[in-house]
Amino acid sequence: MRGGIVRELAVRRYLNQFRRIFQDPVLAIGLILVTLFLVLAVVWPVLAMVGESMSEAGRPLFARYLTEPTYQTIIRNTVVMGLLVAAVGTALGFLFAYVQVKVQAPFKRLMHFVALVPIISPPFAVATATLTLFGRNGLITKGIFGVRYDIYGLQGLTLVLSLSYFTVAYMNLKGMMQALDPALEEAATNLGANKWRIFRTVTVPMLIPGILGSFLLLFVESIADLGNPLVLGGNFEVLATRIYISVIGLYDTTGAAVLSVILLVPSLIIFVIQRYWIGRMSVVSVTGKPSGTPQMITHPWVRWPLFAVTMGVTLLIILIYATLFVGAFVEVPGVNNSFTLSHFDFVINGYGSEAMTDTTLLSAISTPIAGLLGILIAFLVVRKEFPGRAGLDFAGMLGIAVPGTIIGIGYLLVFNNPLDLTLPFGGENPLTITLIPKLTGGRAVLGGALAIVMVFVIRSIPAALRSGVASLSQIDPAIEEASISLGADNARTFRKITLPLIRPAFLSGLIYAFARSMTSLSAIIFLTTPQTKIMTQQILNETENGRYGNAFAYCVILILIVLVAISVLYLTVGSATGAERTLEGGG
Amino acid sequence: MTVQRTRQGDLELIDVVKSFPQREGSGVVAAVDHVSLAIPSGEFVTLLGPSGCGKTTTLRLIAGFEMPTAGRILLDGKDITHQAPNKRDMAMVFQSYALFPHMTVADNIAYGLQTAGMPRAEIKAKVAAALDLMSLGGLGERRPNELSGGQQQRVALARSLVMEPSVLLFDEPLSNLDAKLRVQMRSEIRGLQRRLGITSVYVTHDQIEAMSMSDRIVVMNAGRIDQIGKPHEIYHRPRTRFVADFIGRANFVETTVEAAAGDRATVTVLGKTVQVPVEQPLSAGTRVTAVLRPEALRLVEDTARCPMTIEQGMYLGAETEYILAGDGQRLVVIESGLSAQRLFAEGQTVCVDFEDEAVHLLPVG
Ligand SMILES: Nc1ncnc2c1ncn2[C@@H]1O[C@H](COP(=O)(O)OP(=O)(O)O)[C@@H](O)[C@H]1O
Ligand SMILES: [Mg+2]
Repeated sequence: MRGGIVRELAVRRYLNQFRRIFQDPVLAIGLILVTLFLVLAVVWPVLAMVGESMSEAGRPLFARYLTEPTYQTIIRNTVVMGLLVAAVGTALGFLFAYVQVKVQAPFKRLMHFVALVPIISPPFAVATATLTLFGRNGLITKGIFGVRYDIYGLQGLTLVLSLSYFTVAYMNLKGMMQALDPALEEAATNLGANKWRIFRTVTVPMLIPGILGSFLLLFVESIADLGNPLVLGGNFEVLATRIYISVIGLYDTTGAAVLSVILLVPSLIIFVIQRYWIGRMSVVSVTGKPSGTPQMITHPWVRWPLFAVTMGVTLLIILIYATLFVGAFVEVPGVNNSFTLSHFDFVINGYGSEAMTDTTLLSAISTPIAGLLGILIAFLVVRKEFPGRAGLDFAGMLGIAVPGTIIGIGYLLVFNNPLDLTLPFGGENPLTITLIPKLTGGRAVLGGALAIVMVFVIRSIPAALRSGVASLSQIDPAIEEASISLGADNARTFRKITLPLIRPAFLSGLIYAFARSMTSLSAIIFLTTPQTKIMTQQILNETENGRYGNAFAYCVILILIVLVAISVLYLTVGSATGAERTLEGGG
Repeated sequence: MTVQRTRQGDLELIDVVKSFPQREGSGVVAAVDHVSLAIPSGEFVTLLGPSGCGKTTTLRLIAGFEMPTAGRILLDGKDITHQAPNKRDMAMVFQSYALFPHMTVADNIAYGLQTAGMPRAEIKAKVAAALDLMSLGGLGERRPNELSGGQQQRVALARSLVMEPSVLLFDEPLSNLDAKLRVQMRSEIRGLQRRLGITSVYVTHDQIEAMSMSDRIVVMNAGRIDQIGKPHEIYHRPRTRFVADFIGRANFVETTVEAAAGDRATVTVLGKTVQVPVEQPLSAGTRVTAVLRPEALRLVEDTARCPMTIEQGMYLGAETEYILAGDGQRLVVIESGLSAQRLFAEGQTVCVDFEDEAVHLLPVG
């Protein structure tokens, strides 16, 4: 009886929500377009990939892959590598954040910038430079210590991936530590606790959601990484590389799809846990403005060891990037160290120029699309009520939750043939309409550029979406309601009120989008065509062929392009309207 | 020839229900529970009730920010239940003011007019007039965060008023101001509303605010309307114990109707037999609750009728408040004027006296 009433009310609520959305046609069209795009660009490819794995040919492969020792080793490698990177990366992130927020130490700004550098550098720039330094003919291992150290495999990957991905943990934990109300620690001090006890009983427990969340995110990111295992894996094979080889080397899309599902399932589960469960148990309200001044750690026995370790890692990262930079200017890094500009000539004027312009152009096209879509989804999810809201949010995040290799294969499955609709009438010569043209492979529309832009956008939306959600939930919804109440529709309110107010989030969404597009490899590698070249793939090629100088020159130029783009974005989007100042100043 | 223009802003809620899914669990909460209310044009009506009784939800239903689960809302006879909020001829003043932080004061006020596509020159004139009206002259180029709370409140009001809406909606607009400013804004808002004759729905949990500003007060309790009436009616003839208790302070004394004749009933309260007017005829023998306001009682030394002991006396200057106990009953008595200065000692045995009209009867329940 009661259940019936509740159900009836639920139905009426949904009806009302639809009415509410369709009261405003612009809102309805926006919602429909966003949904269509997400379905087309990410949901469908992923489902197609799952479908392929469930095909006649695919099903038996599951049993084979899960029992055969070769594949068991690959799966074990993947898990072990993921766990190691997650642990080391989270620890590094925690250390950097803790020193940054809580310890009185010199060079903190330097450490901060160094921790952010991985965001703007191609995923395996670190790997290539590390090989030059610590590889079999490494400048340090062979040159200084005279050992033939084998960096290939798990230890090298753990080092490189941890250094490449700890930024996520750093930003996450730094934000939480800054949001920790100093009053809590003051209260604990007041109750007689010393600093160590406060650390154990207040700081760490409050940060557990952040630590767990970072750990899981790093796990997902590292098992999805393709570039580093290709460069540094040696005989150490992981799922991502095996999937790549299945497609590129063996043309075995079905086998790749099955392996992809094996990789996808844990990735998605962990992502969901990270996002919905840990997100909810968070006790630190990041929105709250902490009061009081945090107590800094000044005790020399704590301060200097922490500083030493953090500074050590900072110097290592600087060394790696310095190698990359210097390496771009010498003939053969580590072997023939005479100065040359030939690598830059190769990239800027020679064979590489095409990749450089293509990548920059496509990233520049994707960036505003991803930024706007991300913010629009955030707006819909945070401010509007409609059936399927959680689904939209989830679909928006799929671009980061699903490993890039899997998206790439999904695209091959879905877009390698045009989607035609043959009308059921017309007799002899039925009319055929191409709904979606061929987007990938040879003779694809625009040389495959459209598919690449779609992937760039899909992979960049999550960052814009997250920063949009975080920013929107700090803005009093009454401000937008006031606009509506004064007669503005949703579109005008979004343009005139919402967007200016979340401009900082929009800006960081754009920066992420551009940097992510420029540096992404795992999905793109399946989609490049002779007409459309992408820098990261060229870097991989050069690295695999041992032409480190060219690879380094590509990396340096890529980093420069990203830096220039960030400046341009700051100048255009970031021009102060006062809104951000007002919000920060607590208006 | 003059055309008789009908006054705008006739608002009507018909049997409106709004239920939300429970925040925890799977049930539903009826935030607004079968509310019917007719507000004629130009009236100032206050929704009054404790926190969580559904005032804001009712206001948001009128504004169109929420859609009713059932029921209809009419404006000037036209059904607006499903009309989009930006299409409604209303303007809302928010508790947090909700000023646009990235715009100047003048831009804030101009926003609605620009949205409506009014010519620039006209907007400029209207904004200037609104700034003047709200004594904000010279602040037009400031940003909201450069203003004091009271000034921000005025901007919010000006921003709504320039729209010349049929209905003004207020959600606890004064609750962020300090006490002194609140009193001042109270009369300012009321003065403006009278002058402009705009139908106003005002939400507050502050009974003084409600009493001092409203033409009529709607007392809400757990999503329902307990009573609608003029401030005087609500205070002197509360319809339920909840209303009597929520508005002002009240003593409740259980008793039985001894005799009834037409619109009068005879009861004995605190040892005194009185004849009181009743709204519905009551038959002899009915249990009733008598409501007595503390300031309608006075202490007498003659303890023959209903002796009680003074438990506590608080001298407050202008008045003295006593708490009496006895006969299984507690009473609050407030003596004011000269009698406030005639102090009774704690522990003293006294009796209370009152006029017949001080007694108001409620059905028990
Ligand atoms: N969006 C919502 N979702 C769920 N419950 C709500 C929502 N808005 C209000 N409520 C509930 O409805 C009831 C009335 O709320 P409200 O109208 O804000 O009360 P008031 O303004 O009188 O304090 C409360 O129990 C509140 O928790
Ligand atoms: Mg309220």
